[in-house]
Amino acid sequence: MKNLNRRNFLKTAAAAGLAISALDSKTVKGADKTLSEDRIGMLIDTANCVGCRHCEWACRVAHNLPTNDLDTYSNTEVFKEYRRPDSHSLTVINEFENEKNPLLPIHVKTQCMHCERPACVSACIVGAFTKHPDGTVTWDTDKCIGCRYCMVACQFQIPTFDYDKAIDPQIRKCDLCFDRRKSGKVPACVDICPNEAIIYGKRSDLLKIAKDRIKRKPDVYIKHIYGEYEVGGTSVLYIAGKNFTELKMPPLGTNPAPGISESIQHGVFAYFVPPVTLYALLGLIMWITKRGKVDELKENNDIQEDEKGENS
Amino acid sequence: MKKGLFILIPLLLMGYLIVITLIPRPKPQMVDAGNKILYNQNLESNNRDQESKNQNVSSDHIKQSLNCKSCHACEYPTKEDPCLIECPRQDLALVFNTTKEGPEVVVIDEMSENYSGVVFSHKLHTHMSEMSAGCTDCHHYNTTGPVLKCSKCHENTRSREDVSVPDLKAAYHRQCMKCHVQWSRENGCNTQCHSRKSPDSDVKLQQLIKEVTNKTHPLRPEPTKMRWETNYEKGKIVTFFHDEHVQLFKLKCADCHSNDNCTKCHESKTSKDFGKTIQIKKSEEEHHKSCSSCHNINSCQKCHKESEMMPFNHGRSTGWNLKAYHSKLACTKCHGNTVPIKKLDNNCTSCHKNFTLGQFDHKITGLVLSEGHAEAECNSCHVNNNFAKNPECSSCHDKDKSYPADLPGKRGK
Repeated sequence: MKNLNRRNFLKTAAAAGLAISALDSKTVKGADKTLSEDRIGMLIDTANCVGCRHCEWACRVAHNLPTNDLDTYSNTEVFKEYRRPDSHSLTVINEFENEKNPLLPIHVKTQCMHCERPACVSACIVGAFTKHPDGTVTWDTDKCIGCRYCMVACQFQIPTFDYDKAIDPQIRKCDLCFDRRKSGKVPACVDICPNEAIIYGKRSDLLKIAKDRIKRKPDVYIKHIYGEYEVGGTSVLYIAGKNFTELKMPPLGTNPAPGISESIQHGVFAYFVPPVTLYALLGLIMWITKRGKVDELKENNDIQEDEKGENS
Repeated sequence: MKKGLFILIPLLLMGYLIVITLIPRPKPQMVDAGNKILYNQNLESNNRDQESKNQNVSSDHIKQSLNCKSCHACEYPTKEDPCLIECPRQDLALVFNTTKEGPEVVVIDEMSENYSGVVFSHKLHTHMSEMSAGCTDCHHYNTTGPVLKCSKCHENTRSREDVSVPDLKAAYHRQCMKCHVQWSRENGCNTQCHSRKSPDSDVKLQQLIKEVTNKTHPLRPEPTKMRWETNYEKGKIVTFFHDEHVQLFKLKCADCHSNDNCTKCHESKTSKDFGKTIQIKKSEEEHHKSCSSCHNINSCQKCHKESEMMPFNHGRSTGWNLKAYHSKLACTKCHGNTVPIKKLDNNCTSCHKNFTLGQFDHKITGLVLSEGHAEAECNSCHVNNNFAKNPECSSCHDKDKSYPADLPGKRGK
């Protein structure tokens, strides 16, 4: 054990770590490149939403989910309780108090945010989730094994599960009407909104519109576009006249959730270079130590032989 | 030699053509004379036609001292092609029409698929808008002249290239819901606005039109003076002259009434005392807001007085009585558009830079200077160019001459 002492071991380990982290940054950037410059999104202007809940109805119809008649959606009683999306309603509207004008409560639509770096895509062990270049996050029901890792991974708690179904329960969430849009239509909720409180367009355009509105009406909006930087940016953006935490939007940092875990996972196995390097390194260490041992043995033998010679 | 000519002649012709196209031709020039826009002879006759036909527009152009470019994109707008700037016309609402000009009822049926047309009582709403921001409350970003259709800027499709401007459906709904959500506390499809299409919907529509046509809102006459009793100890009474702000200070209704709706006066549609106007309780901040947007509210006693204030009088408040020419001018002509207003001194030359020897005709003051005096510098009589004080003769004359006993010329025009 001449060459490999504790210090040398730490040195080599650090070098290997560096090599891995260098590879990490490459893989992370590669993931961003798959997104299109013209990727789409939705801007939800809560100041224009009147809480008619027509989007909830349109969403159900567009996704073939059971629904009551549209007229029943004018019922404002449902606002008394805070609601979350479930397997039958992929989007819901909640009502919040407006201190600036009590007669105009704030309505906030909740649905999948279609993150730029989605945690669900990262967490799915069978690769059923896909982040499309246009920004949409969809999933493949046929691949899904129902592990519900996506539900745990999502910071917005969006994917839902058919808990009430014993046979073939499914994961569901907003897919930005992926199939509808193929035929040139806008998402169902965008289409039906009477006030166009949900604006559908290029994410870059939406950011410009949001900034313009905040600038033009500083008494109506606070200076924050929710989703511009949250968890590395989301396709769905919000502007409002009240702090977003008060509207029950989770206060999230700007780091994408899959960041650390994904970079380690992807880094470790990227192109099999790190495992190969690791094994090569271990082999090298083994070879060096073995050689050292052989030398030692040889030396020992030589000494023994010498001693023998001297004795004889 | 012949060959040379064949090349030379076409070359000369081409050169001539190039010179003709490149030489700048005299362009019609626009002269801005006291905000009245005059064109040179080519356009003058055309312009005169326009003025006689459309008195409203031209007079408004004078009143507003507008920059041409705030409405028109091209250099020479005509009535046929006013080349109004593209939508959205940000922060530009210049409708100068009276509420009586509009239609009584408008049926909005440009997008009706599932519902029959919406019967909108334009007359009723104009009555209400007269107590508020006027036409601009709804017809926003409209330039002078005829009121434009909403569809001029708002496209009738949701899937479109430019999504910064709401589409037609959203534009209509936002205009209505802005007030009606607060008014009726409903947010579904109001059955009063929308009724589902049915075989008899045409008959129903006609009925509704009849019903709506007769709807009016009692007019509240424009207040002249308003008086509030407040809790402020050092001065309980606040007086506000509404007429002054409109006529004298030329404020637009929307400057103060931009966010008004029914709930400003009525409690709610559902409440029992609908029909009775009620006193809305406002916070102190809100009360001050309507004044503080223009006035400095640092000193309370400027508005809060022991007794009612007198109407505004330039002479009394500033010590400078406006006479003859000055009384006809808009405040902004001298004091600018800034808030708070630019303060001026009573020295004529601080505004009238051209009041110098040789340029100023003394005759307009009512005194024709004699030959000797006409050649004197202004400040030899008007000490320090202070024209408010009586002129002094001592700089040239002995003490035997004095004003007004000895005039430096003749009275008369």
